[in-house]
Amino acid sequence: MNIWLLVWRNSFRKKIRFALTCVSIMVAFFLFTALAGINHALTASVSSINQYRLMTSHKISITRSLPINYQQKIAALPGIERVSYASWFGGFFQNEKNQLAVTAVEHTSYFDLFDEYKIPKQQLAQWKKTRTGIIVGQSLANKYGWQVGDKVPLSSSIWMNRSGSFSWEFVVSAIYQSNKQGGDKKIFFQHAYFDKGRAYARNSLSWLSTKIAPNADVEQAIKSIDSLFTHSNSPTRTTTEQVFVQEQAQQFVDMAMVINVVVIAVFFTLLLIVCNTMIQTIRERLNESAMMKALGFSSSSLITAIYLESLLLLGIGAVLGTLLASILLGFIKQSLADFLPGIYISPQHYITVFALVNIAAAFCSFFPALKIKSIVVSEALGGQS
Amino acid sequence: MQNNNEIILKAINKSYQKGDNTVVVHDNFNLTIKSGEFVALMGPSGLGKSTLLHLMGGLDQPTQGEVWIGGQRIDNLTQKQLTQWRAQSIGFVFQSHHLLPVLSAQGNVELPLALTPLNRKQRKEHASMALQLVSMSERADHYPKELSGGQEQRVAIARAIVSDPQILLCDEPTGNLDRKTADEILALLAKLNSELGKTIVMVTHDNKAAEYATRVINLESYILSQNKAQAEAQNNKMNKAEVSLGSNL
Repeated sequence: MNIWLLVWRNSFRKKIRFALTCVSIMVAFFLFTALAGINHALTASVSSINQYRLMTSHKISITRSLPINYQQKIAALPGIERVSYASWFGGFFQNEKNQLAVTAVEHTSYFDLFDEYKIPKQQLAQWKKTRTGIIVGQSLANKYGWQVGDKVPLSSSIWMNRSGSFSWEFVVSAIYQSNKQGGDKKIFFQHAYFDKGRAYARNSLSWLSTKIAPNADVEQAIKSIDSLFTHSNSPTRTTTEQVFVQEQAQQFVDMAMVINVVVIAVFFTLLLIVCNTMIQTIRERLNESAMMKALGFSSSSLITAIYLESLLLLGIGAVLGTLLASILLGFIKQSLADFLPGIYISPQHYITVFALVNIAAAFCSFFPALKIKSIVVSEALGGQS
Repeated sequence: MQNNNEIILKAINKSYQKGDNTVVVHDNFNLTIKSGEFVALMGPSGLGKSTLLHLMGGLDQPTQGEVWIGGQRIDNLTQKQLTQWRAQSIGFVFQSHHLLPVLSAQGNVELPLALTPLNRKQRKEHASMALQLVSMSERADHYPKELSGGQEQRVAIARAIVSDPQILLCDEPTGNLDRKTADEILALLAKLNSELGKTIVMVTHDNKAAEYATRVINLESYILSQNKAQAEAQNNKMNKAEVSLGSNL
């Protein structure tokens, strides 16, 4: 017999109460971990973005197109190093369940701006020469078994081609890798092929990417670009790439904030539930605690035992919840790989869970500790005469 | 000179507050229990028998006065010191056994040994020995709910003696038991007193239980005689003072 055995046995004394409390702890830590993984995906894409890249889209909405000659006009402005452009193709492979992030990009300049995509030089050169060529991310190539030279038909739910079909023929010219987590799940093809091939909206683009000189004034560059088109039919809105991505992710981030608030509320309620459970526990065992004091156990050893009991309860719930969320995120990661890459639970999260469990255990033991401290053995064990 | 297990209560005052009133339980109470005695404290309810037992065991402290156990004054010890002292010096047996339901008889008896430097094997051996002394070896693996009231009390006694304290304080140890079982428990306590030399103080309402003790103190008459003796001593003192004053005049 030792104090650990006593803690273990006492924990499982009221099995149903233990199980129900454990499940509520599990749910709270499940939410906490699942949210952390999704939050990582939402914020990771923003954090590693080049501050000196600007994004220009239509002032009203990114779904409205801009004239293709905007590239030259922006390039002529002082402090501008390079300008490229792209259009959203969307697309899917074979059936609509296999949605893909396909973008038509200006092939001569785009990858000079976006050097985070690691493309073998030879393959890049080949792609520039191949009108129907696509550059595919390594993950996608692995997923569909694509190799350089393979012919790949992709369909778009937006863009019809001149032959009246939504199916576009491509050939894999290059396979890229990315140092950004989840960044190798995109497909790029030549804007020229897209522009000539589509049935409508020719000579237009979805957005422009501009690289400014490292010593240039970002604010000034943004003003210069937008003022250039203020009175045109297609006024623009320019931001840094960081702001652009943040705005796209804003709807998710806001949702994350709402979930965060809910999780905090759940945690707080949980803390009260566990705290109440522990107070109830110590009340039920008041006589036993008094007897242990009479036997020579100090208040601090009894408080340690109740802390360990709280720790065990919270620990089991937290481990189960975190484990369940990790497994589930693993599945979600696979299915949302194209649209929400970067779902990831960092080692720091596990440290946070560990710290939270300890803090919560200390908090939940506080009131029982006061109760233990205040036990008057002679009163608790009761004099009969 | 006090013996090793002698219990001395000196001029004990014990009172407590109940609302605005002060309830006096003991006023200038004195008692000496010699080492190796088996004392039965008897008397009607409300006289403070259990209070005396709690004072002897360091579970309660007197409002005034001194408590000496085995040559050590304990009424001025801190709670931490008292806790340590109790673990080494005193065994308690209560009317309700207060066994932990999650531990077997063996586990319950081993419990006080968790406070000692004994290793696992030694703890097991000591507990087995204590259970053997109370004839409960065969039930060592049973849990309290699987034991009868008498068996539970035997285990409680084994728990009280496992760390080999020289003093056992028993508060109505047979209060919840039938006559036959009570006799078995009392015989066991008498055996611990006569064979192992334990000093035992037992609070009881049971006249039959008192027959097992080597000394019976009826607290009601004891207090009366103590008060009478104190009053006489006071009178003698005053008479002497008057005589001395008269002769001086």
